[in-house]
Amino acid sequence: MQRPQQNRYKRRRIYVRRKICRFCADKSLVADYKQPDLLKAFITERGKILPRRVTGTCAKHQRRLTNAIKKARIMALLPFTSGHAIE
Amino acid sequence: MKLHHYETIFLLHPELSNEERETAVEKFSSIIKDDQGQIVNIDQWPLKKLAYKVQKQTQGYYVVMDFGAPGSAIEELTRNFRLDERVMKFMTTKLDDEFDPEEAAKKYAQKETKESQEQAETSEVDQEQKED
Repeated sequence: MQRPQQNRYKRRRIYVRRKICRFCADKSLVADYKQPDLLKAFITERGKILPRRVTGTCAKHQRRLTNAIKKARIMALLPFTSGHAIE
Repeated sequence: MKLHHYETIFLLHPELSNEERETAVEKFSSIIKDDQGQIVNIDQWPLKKLAYKVQKQTQGYYVVMDFGAPGSAIEELTRNFRLDERVMKFMTTKLDDEFDPEEAAKKYAQKETKESQEQAETSEVDQEQKED
């Protein structure tokens, strides 16, 4: 059993909560470029794509997410940068 | 000719009237049909604010078409999108190499039933909460 070791590891780090990939948790959720409101949760205020370590998305879904965000940007559904935002 | 499964999204100029938009959509769908393509679904979005200015416009109408067509139809479609001044932006994505019209239609049928189911579920939850 690896449990005790894990506990010790956790105690050393002050607060590490394992994030769960949202797309794995909800199988019906698909990273789709046509849903900018969903994708907005995975970009910064400046429009940058958030890294996996921040959002907890798994590698497979992060790849799809990245492609979806880039497609959405091309179609003017998401901003490339906040500098070109309207108003 | 072999059909592939495609999805096309295009952005129409915000100053077009309902009828003008309708004729534009009709034009592009007929291009697909003329090349033995089969249209599964056309989704016209309401006027939407853009993330950045496109051709000095801040708004636009999106149209999403889900269809099966041979590759040559996409060439023709793209050529027409480029020429047409009503279209501000467009993008075609291949969803699958194989096109099965029944399978593709299922997606939309399921979506509708799912939505109604979800509504029913949420109302159930509401009731449970009230009981608590």
